[in-house]
Amino acid sequence: MYIELHTHSNFSLLDGADHPETLVARAAELGMPALALTDHDNVYGAVRFWQAAQEAGIRPIFGAELTVGRRTAVAPENDKNNVAADDSPTHHLTLLVENEAGWHNLCYLISVAQRHQPKGQAVLPPEELIGCTGGLIALSGCRQGEIAGLLRQGRRRQAIRTAIHYRDLFGPHNFWIELQHHYRPGDDYLVSQLAGLADYLGLSCMATNNVHYAQSEQSRLQDILVCIRQQTTLDAAAHLLRGNAEFYLKTAEQMATLFADYPQALTNSSLIADRCRFELAYGLQDLPHFPTPGGLSDLAYLRRLCQKALYEGYNSSPLPDPGLRQRLDHELAIIERAGLANYFLIVADIVAFARRQGIRCQGRGSAANSLVAYLLHISPIDPLAHGLVFERFLSDERRVVPDIDLDFESERREEVIQYIYQTYGPAHVAMACTFVTFRARSAVRDVGKVLGLPPNLVAAAAHSLDSMETAVNVTPNQQAPLHLLLDLSRQLEGYPRHLGLHSGGMVVTGRPLNSRVPTEPAALAERVVVQWDKEALAAVGLVKIDVLGLRMLSTLTEAVDLVKRATGQALDLDILSFDDPQVYEMIAQADTLGVFQVESRAQAQMLPKLKPRCFADLIIAISLIRPGPVQGNMVRPFLRRRAGLEPVTYLHPLLEPALAETLGVILFQEQVLKVARDLAGFTAGQGELLRRALGAKRAAAAIRQFQADFLAGAQQKGVSPDVAKQVFDQLAAFGSYSFAKSHAAAFAVIVYQSAWLKWYHFEAYYAALLNTRPGFWPPAIMVNEVQRRGGTVLGVDIHHSQANCTLEGKAIRLGLTYVKGLGEGQIEQIVACRQERPFTGLTDFCRRTAIGRRLVERLILAGAMAEWDVPRRQLMWQLGTLSYKEEGLALADDPTELTLPPLSQAEQLLAEQSVMGVSTGPHVLSFYRTWLDANNILDSRELAATPHGRRVRVAGLLVVHQSPPTAKGFHFLTLETETGLINVIVRPAVYRQFSPLLLTAKLLLVAGVVQQEEGVTNVLVNHISHLETDLRPFG
Amino acid sequence: MTRLWRKAQPITVQTNGRHEPIAFTWRGRRHGVEQITRQWRTDVDWWRERVWRSSYKLVTDSGLLVVVYQDLLTGDWYLQRLYD
Repeated sequence: MYIELHTHSNFSLLDGADHPETLVARAAELGMPALALTDHDNVYGAVRFWQAAQEAGIRPIFGAELTVGRRTAVAPENDKNNVAADDSPTHHLTLLVENEAGWHNLCYLISVAQRHQPKGQAVLPPEELIGCTGGLIALSGCRQGEIAGLLRQGRRRQAIRTAIHYRDLFGPHNFWIELQHHYRPGDDYLVSQLAGLADYLGLSCMATNNVHYAQSEQSRLQDILVCIRQQTTLDAAAHLLRGNAEFYLKTAEQMATLFADYPQALTNSSLIADRCRFELAYGLQDLPHFPTPGGLSDLAYLRRLCQKALYEGYNSSPLPDPGLRQRLDHELAIIERAGLANYFLIVADIVAFARRQGIRCQGRGSAANSLVAYLLHISPIDPLAHGLVFERFLSDERRVVPDIDLDFESERREEVIQYIYQTYGPAHVAMACTFVTFRARSAVRDVGKVLGLPPNLVAAAAHSLDSMETAVNVTPNQQAPLHLLLDLSRQLEGYPRHLGLHSGGMVVTGRPLNSRVPTEPAALAERVVVQWDKEALAAVGLVKIDVLGLRMLSTLTEAVDLVKRATGQALDLDILSFDDPQVYEMIAQADTLGVFQVESRAQAQMLPKLKPRCFADLIIAISLIRPGPVQGNMVRPFLRRRAGLEPVTYLHPLLEPALAETLGVILFQEQVLKVARDLAGFTAGQGELLRRALGAKRAAAAIRQFQADFLAGAQQKGVSPDVAKQVFDQLAAFGSYSFAKSHAAAFAVIVYQSAWLKWYHFEAYYAALLNTRPGFWPPAIMVNEVQRRGGTVLGVDIHHSQANCTLEGKAIRLGLTYVKGLGEGQIEQIVACRQERPFTGLTDFCRRTAIGRRLVERLILAGAMAEWDVPRRQLMWQLGTLSYKEEGLALADDPTELTLPPLSQAEQLLAEQSVMGVSTGPHVLSFYRTWLDANNILDSRELAATPHGRRVRVAGLLVVHQSPPTAKGFHFLTLETETGLINVIVRPAVYRQFSPLLLTAKLLLVAGVVQQEEGVTNVLVNHISHLETDLRPFG
Repeated sequence: MTRLWRKAQPITVQTNGRHEPIAFTWRGRRHGVEQITRQWRTDVDWWRERVWRSSYKLVTDSGLLVVVYQDLLTGDWYLQRLYD
């Protein structure tokens, strides 16, 4: 019997060449009852390894190969994973976890090794091992091990002393001499030396194969990864590569051959494996205790808070509905069984902090299914009013901890993060990590370099990956390298490449974090990141709280502030009743540019057909335009049914309760649960597991099992197998690429609030949009939109502008931040100087603000000095005559008066665009309008009034070019004119013809056929040309 | 003196159950393998012209110390080095 106890997965980043799942599957195939994962200085892959092992029925053994040694000020020249790095100041030590104490020690040691070290260069100072070896079994390591290294240098006496040190440190039963033989020159000698040393000291040997891939074929990928890590080519890397393909999972027989002289070394692998019984289990959750008043238990206090909210705040009825109390009891019972009362209290406290500070926030995602979350003001949505199922958030069957995702104003999210750090202490708080993985395109680039291929070949390969077509322009003798490149790149896709920081996931624990899971420094100063991503954290039951930044929340706050400053009116968006017909009318007309979630081209196409009239319609609006409903062909049937153009039908009458609200089609994630319940008798928890499996990447086996259960359940309810299969297929097509209704409901609140602001406080809202830039459209479009609606946008002005955009009466004044390169300090300087006294001219401005010449040029070009009534070209001339001390030019002010022709309007527009990205002048198309009118080329208003089917020509500035993966090769363009936006549809064949032009031209002249459908106008294009080739207004 | 052939010498080899050489014939003369002193495997240059070999340093019954290898791509055996 042989069990491999030294295995690297691809979480030994850019070294291991197989996923943990592949290694586990191979070990199971070889009949190993257990397998150890020992990645370099990390447990990144431990949870996936654990899950795969459970599925394969083998016992996972956790561990790591630690890099031990003296830290150097400069990163060691020899890479830590470099097998040829004999003189490295560091060495490897293999550690296996025997029990929980061992796990805690391993987490601590890895965290210490990672602390203060650059990414990927963890080093554990050897003295840190003292007192932290309990529950750990140490193997002496590979050729890079300290003892093996000394023996290879012929320093046997020192090797013996080192072995004695480790024996004393770990205890004689916990320190083993590790033998490895990879058929490499010197292996025979090293094995005999190590065995001799063990014999001399009375230590035992054990054998490992230092596995880096499941099967020998993968050694090529391992070579590639090493070269990517070392940023070199295979040709130049001979000394870095392993030289053969022997580092794979070997059979017991193969290992027996290799260690024929040391059979006990193999037996010992089983003995050690048998001792390692630690399991990562649900229940690691260890939140800090939230202080409750009067010694109340967590649950009792949570119950008290909820009941108080129920009586005080829920609707206006004197006593809460019995249904509400029942629902609350139901939720609290599940929360109690999951042991999550403390979690809710902690989250509620964070939200309460934000509210105290005036930071706009709200929960999103599945938390909005919870009445408890609503009562604690975590979620803005009353789940009962919207028929939301609590089990979508938390259930007895789904034994994982739910996430509560909280959105905060992005500008002030950091304050919330700091509060959490201060409240629980830096040793108890960290961010979740993400793993940045190889994508096909990046893999092609990396592998191409490693293979030393010419750029044209790499480009051809990238193209063939994108287009799924055979690469062209490749010579016959390049075909083989091309295939090799594509093959290796495809294998590499999805491999973890480096560690990133999750956008907002925070892990908070009661015990110091680094005894639960290793931590390492994040790229952001003073932040640490845990070595698990959100999936892994959820799988082991470690709670993550998502503290996310949402710019639109900043926009809302900013707009409310602007209204207050301009009018004194204090708006409270939280008391809006979601029933203003004028707001819905605006949305129904797709007048939604700048409105949260419903401003995109696709939404604008859909809204006039949907005609939302109530809050529930908003939930539907933002759920419809998602890949799930789009790919599942749900959108058109839904809109037709809603318009009464086709009847509402159900594949089976049992589906009606679940799908009636969405007219027989599946729009929300929750409906998967309801359909599974009604048609196949699934519990809500089982339904949630099914939904998760449908959306998971590696769940084919689980889905097959669910399908069998679904069909069996449906049969018991008398549903025919054909219908049951059809329904299951619909669920599968729907997948997870959709919104949860709860999530959509929480977002719909913001949709309404932003639309309400747009309707009633247009100028303030657009000023806020220009300041916070939360959405789909760039500021230039926003400015044009204000002007199209008859509003005024005033340019940047050194005498009037603040840093941000402000209101001057009804007009929006652009802020100084719009001038590229102008920093906070310079803006403060301008404002401070003008408060002393107004600027009298350019010289006065330059002398008093001491702003550099280049930035002053930009201010001139932006029109920011218009108040002096000196043409911009004249000011530029003056600036050239000024002497700037730092330039060392002894030029005096030149008094010469020179009259220069002023910039034309078009030139001013171009200048403003170049220094600010926006212009407050006329739209670029207005310079062409006379010619366009003379040639019968329509603007957006004329187009909207043109009958369906008519051939037209339109022109505009290309502002959006989309080709969503669901569109089957169709491209969608949005052209802006001075009167509005024009939607253009480009069929795949037409796109192929005009794609080079679309990559370069901005002003387009388009010929095509008008499509009018329920208030939505499109042009189906036949021909595209560059407007300027037909007319050059500046020339 | 050691002889290292630029172009290794083809030999015919008899192997045991573990595919280790027990005898080889070179230039018509048979040499029994007395002892394998070292064994190693090479798999390099796979991205150009793959070199995939199993090599043995061995002592023959006639007292020669040699390095032989099997080309694992073709299965052919070669004498690579002869030590004096």
